[in-house]
Amino acid sequence: MGSFKYALRDGTRLILRHWGLAFLTVITSMAVFYLIGASVLLVLNTRHIVNVLEGELSIQAYLAPNADYDAAARAVASVNHVTRVVIITQDMALERLRQRLPDRADVLTLLGENPLPSSLEVSIDRADSVESVVNALAAIPLINDIVYAGNLAEKLSKFSRFAGQFSLAMLFVAVTASAVVLFNTIRIAVYSKEEEIGIMLMVGATPTFVAMPFVLQGIILGGVGSLGASVFLALSYNGIITRLKDLIPFLPLLDRSTVVFELGVILVGAGATVSLIASLVAVETFTRRAMKPL
Amino acid sequence: MDIRFSGVSKIFYPDITALEDVYLEIPKGEFVYLVGPTGSGKTTLLRCITREVAPTRGQITVGSFSLRKISRVDLSIFRRDIGIIFQDFCLLPHLNVFENVAFVLEVLGAPPREVKERTGEILDQVNLWRRRNLYPPQLSGGEQQRVAVARAIVNSPSVLLADEPTGNLDLHTAEEIMQLIMSINALGTTVIMATHNQYLVDAFRQRVIGIRAGRVVRDEKRGRYSLDGEL
Ligand SMILES: Nc1ncnc2c1ncn2[C@@H]1O[C@H](COP(=O)(O)OP(=O)(O)OP(=O)(O)O)[C@@H](O)[C@H]1O
Ligand SMILES: [Mg+2]
Repeated sequence: MGSFKYALRDGTRLILRHWGLAFLTVITSMAVFYLIGASVLLVLNTRHIVNVLEGELSIQAYLAPNADYDAAARAVASVNHVTRVVIITQDMALERLRQRLPDRADVLTLLGENPLPSSLEVSIDRADSVESVVNALAAIPLINDIVYAGNLAEKLSKFSRFAGQFSLAMLFVAVTASAVVLFNTIRIAVYSKEEEIGIMLMVGATPTFVAMPFVLQGIILGGVGSLGASVFLALSYNGIITRLKDLIPFLPLLDRSTVVFELGVILVGAGATVSLIASLVAVETFTRRAMKPL
Repeated sequence: MDIRFSGVSKIFYPDITALEDVYLEIPKGEFVYLVGPTGSGKTTLLRCITREVAPTRGQITVGSFSLRKISRVDLSIFRRDIGIIFQDFCLLPHLNVFENVAFVLEVLGAPPREVKERTGEILDQVNLWRRRNLYPPQLSGGEQQRVAVARAIVNSPSVLLADEPTGNLDLHTAEEIMQLIMSINALGTTVIMATHNQYLVDAFRQRVIGIRAGRVVRDEKRGRYSLDGEL
């Protein structure tokens, strides 16, 4: 384990020796991982909102007078994306109304014969299939009228899908950017010790031994950067979420602590991995060339 | 480790012939002087043994290692057993004397206590213990040379390659270094020493291999620096 101690010593020395560069690298990877984390949170939240809305999403299909419930229900159930059909008979509709207006029972008796139409409550699987289901329902002759909550959910779901793709692209760009920055920092460190590495290889240091301090340096920089990003992310997410909850109280947002914590763990892991790979590549290409005979 | 060259030639790009058809046998534990005019290929020959230079033609084997096809890890393991005194020292300017020597042992993963002890011992042997905290640019040429020697022998290698190890030393110090190298040799280390130091070669008689323009022109069991006034 002597080797690891030397590597740790030399790795920290490298960071101190190039502290300006180290600082810039940490700041950069911090910014990058903050961006990644923020876009992931945005995606998770829109997904969550869409899910909640979808759960509440249903279409009311009012039936023609004297229509056969079961036939209508069967027809509706066979439409694509329909997950559940509940039959609301005239009596049930009246009962619901009665429950909703408990102290106006008198009014209801005044109505005489039940004037409420029977209807079907149609649940669907995804918000963005509202339009197609509604169109299909309209074509069923037993159905007189269709009422649904407009296409807010559909728009949201489209946005969520877009946000997902966008942040995936962002993720790719951001990870590449941080990998390049880390790679360059390590490469500068490697070149600053070019002579030393050359002699180390001449006296029998293995390429792995040579690489260790640099890889440690990279992991420390990338790790500190992503850790900082996670901390900032947690702080700002809490702030934003409290603000939003005041503003739009019914908005279903993701519970703060666990989500941000898990995201933080993933970010630090990703940061360490990216820097491990970037610094390994930086040193390995160098030692490979240095060990090649003339 | 026996060293064997068979038919080794090295042509540097585009057409500088540094070695030509060299056959050599150097058994384990031998002491060999490598002499020849400047530019004759002495350093190149030594660099073939460390595989800094790959021959254009021919084969080199050192002990059980065949240098033509050797993996990177094997090369590292092989080099641990070879001590090198470079012609231009190759000390690390931002490490002090102690660290310059110690890091050879660290590279091998020796525990810190052992590194400290062994480095102290060897610095004592080359009379540099009192200079241990100085940096190479603060040392005289001869002192730097002694650091280079100390670094090469600190891990008791099987083979010591010395490229002009007495180049910057006065006669007295050169003799001291020479005694040191011979004592290492007496412990069983093969020594190949490229040198222009006529006095040493003639005073401490050993096998002499003479090269000119990349060719081995003489090989004498107890030779002298020059033959008939010619190198
Ligand atoms: N990397 C290289 N590229 C091209 N030519 C080289 C290279 N290394 C050495 N040479 C040439 O090979 C020849 C032998 O050089 P080498 O350094 O082996 O000589 P030497 O015997 O050690 O000389 P000296 O006594 O001056 O140290 C020289 O002509 C030199 O210019
Ligand atoms: Mg030379």
